[in-house]
Amino acid sequence: MDVKRYTKMAYDDFEDMVFGHSLYPVSTGFDLEIGAGYTSAEVNYAPRPSSGESKEKLVAEYEKITTDILQRMVQVGFPSVVLETEHVLQMTTNPEWGAEIAHAQKTIMEEYYDEYGIKCALRNTLADIRGGRESLDLRGDPYDVLMESFEQVASSGADMLSIESLGGKSVFDTAILHNDIPGILFSIGILGTLDVEFIWSEISRIAKKNNVIAAGDTDCSQANTAMFIAGGLLDRKLAHTMAIVARAISAPRSLAAYEAGAVGPGKDCGYENTIIKAITGVPISQEGKASTCAHSDLMGNLVMQCCDLWSNESVEYHGEFGGTSVQCWGETLSYDCSMLNTAIEAGYAKVFRDVLMVSDRYRDPQSFILAFDNAYRIGEAIVKDGNDIYLRSKNAAIEACDIVERGSKGQLELSKFEKASLANATKILHSLTDEKDVFIEEQMDKFKTEMDEFRPENYGY
Amino acid sequence: MIDINPQRTLVRYNVKVEQEMTPEEVAEKLFPVDEAIREVARAVFEGDEDEVVESLQNAIDKGKDPLSLINDALMVGMEIVSTLYDGNMLYLPDVIISAQAMIEGIEFCKERSGQEHEYKGKIVSYVVEGDIHDIGKKIVTVLLKAKGYEVIDLGKDVPVEEVIAAVKRENPIMLTGTALMTTTMSAFKDVNSRLLDSDINVPVVCGGGAVTQDFVSQYDLGLYCEEAADVPKIADAILKGFDVERLRKEFHKH
Repeated sequence: MDVKRYTKMAYDDFEDMVFGHSLYPVSTGFDLEIGAGYTSAEVNYAPRPSSGESKEKLVAEYEKITTDILQRMVQVGFPSVVLETEHVLQMTTNPEWGAEIAHAQKTIMEEYYDEYGIKCALRNTLADIRGGRESLDLRGDPYDVLMESFEQVASSGADMLSIESLGGKSVFDTAILHNDIPGILFSIGILGTLDVEFIWSEISRIAKKNNVIAAGDTDCSQANTAMFIAGGLLDRKLAHTMAIVARAISAPRSLAAYEAGAVGPGKDCGYENTIIKAITGVPISQEGKASTCAHSDLMGNLVMQCCDLWSNESVEYHGEFGGTSVQCWGETLSYDCSMLNTAIEAGYAKVFRDVLMVSDRYRDPQSFILAFDNAYRIGEAIVKDGNDIYLRSKNAAIEACDIVERGSKGQLELSKFEKASLANATKILHSLTDEKDVFIEEQMDKFKTEMDEFRPENYGY
Repeated sequence: MIDINPQRTLVRYNVKVEQEMTPEEVAEKLFPVDEAIREVARAVFEGDEDEVVESLQNAIDKGKDPLSLINDALMVGMEIVSTLYDGNMLYLPDVIISAQAMIEGIEFCKERSGQEHEYKGKIVSYVVEGDIHDIGKKIVTVLLKAKGYEVIDLGKDVPVEEVIAAVKRENPIMLTGTALMTTTMSAFKDVNSRLLDSDINVPVVCGGGAVTQDFVSQYDLGLYCEEAADVPKIADAILKGFDVERLRKEFHKH
């Protein structure tokens, strides 16, 4: 496996990071550039439940979605847009379904590009179908179907390939519900990283062969699960200071996709993307306040700070008073981008970035660690031991805890419970071995004993 | 980089409304007086499985009936945990860890007594076909067990046929189903139809990422549930005789 580890930061200074600009812009689709001096909306949608009954219904549904979005973009005068099709299960398990839908969407996009010159591109995020009923089956037959599906969408119209991969998921679910810090580190930092490396080597090969973009992964299945369970300020499901551990470790995990050939833009729900941008210089997509259609958010403005694509979370296609849901959200996102792009044109990008960031910086420990200066510091902790997937994950977690601890001596207010949880996490992290092999062996033994569904062979063991 | 006084732009309500007493201090006031039972309840609160078994053994040695200890000690400890969770003093992992210690204790008591424990009621739980996201179901399952219910957990990605067969076989007081994706949640419709075809009027409690109250309300047996912590309360209401219409009035929040 040809993997290039990151052992130094792409950006020399966090002050250089800003929205709409990346060190390595991506050109794709119809005349679209990402991270090359402007931002674009990336609209994310889901078909209505009844449309999943047949391929024909799904194709028709996505044709309507595509037309609605593009129609609204030209009606309101937006220069660019990305459409993100997150596959429903049937589209990936039947590769020809996904291919036909990608072709249908791209055909409509081409018509709009030809007629209006609107810059646009299509991202396909495939469903990770490797989750079996009894246990994950990451390298067996479902993997072959998944890669066949990538091949088919790549050759049928998709401009960018992404996935929310599931490696480590079952171990993580158990670990997070038991406040098991080593288990969280093992599931995301080791198992997640190994799986991301494994699949992205192949996805990158497929992308190269078909002359499309290997865009990137997201730790949605783990770090976002922690964020979702943690919920709002008054929820008592998970300490937010525990969720920061999962988020920090998700960065070296999702980084593995870029080490295996991905070039960005990272997927919108990867809240770890600011850290990844700092390390790699690739463009990123982010979702924040416009993800409220799917879940609440404690950093709705802040995550816009360094985005190159600005996205929503998957919204069901249906009617609203102001049009269909995709038109409403597409318009909202695009107006946000118009504001960002105006700030760039006027020379106020960094001021605007700071306003976005500071508005949420102290809202929660989770937003605090992702403020671009702190995200950069976590990046530095990762690349310090960039060649060791264990140490860099551990470093990231410790740095995140230290950042919050330092913050709590200033403007960041923590509850007693959050302080206790943070102290506990820090203590446990510092007590862990520095030896990758020792740690992996311990955790492998533990989960082989305690979890019937855990299969080390999924990770090459 | 600019900076501001955040207290002028946001409120950390979790810090503002924080309780003065720690959960441990509150729990200490709630533990039973009887020393043998108190130790079991405390071990459940602390989520220490070994300590639970050891304290149960001590209580049995002092003449307590193993089967009675389930309701009189283990469930009492768990009730304290639930009370503190409902009062925003504990977090979900605390409840899960305590519940597992309690379940271990129940098995120990059953083994020592040689008799079956009578649960409050039986509930069938599953994740819809095509969906492998089961963390929500795991949480619901533990919370139900913590409240004294027997849960038949069918797992994830469960075909409709299997759900119907389980309901016919187990005769539960309710069914709980979760779904993350819009295209998989249509399985609720099939479950609803198949149950009605068989004249089975068991409430189907639905939740999960893409599921909405409007969607679930389309189906005669459907009850939408937004918070996992509400599921045991729904089960309690069913035991009190609530039908689907009354359950919706009580638990549909929107």
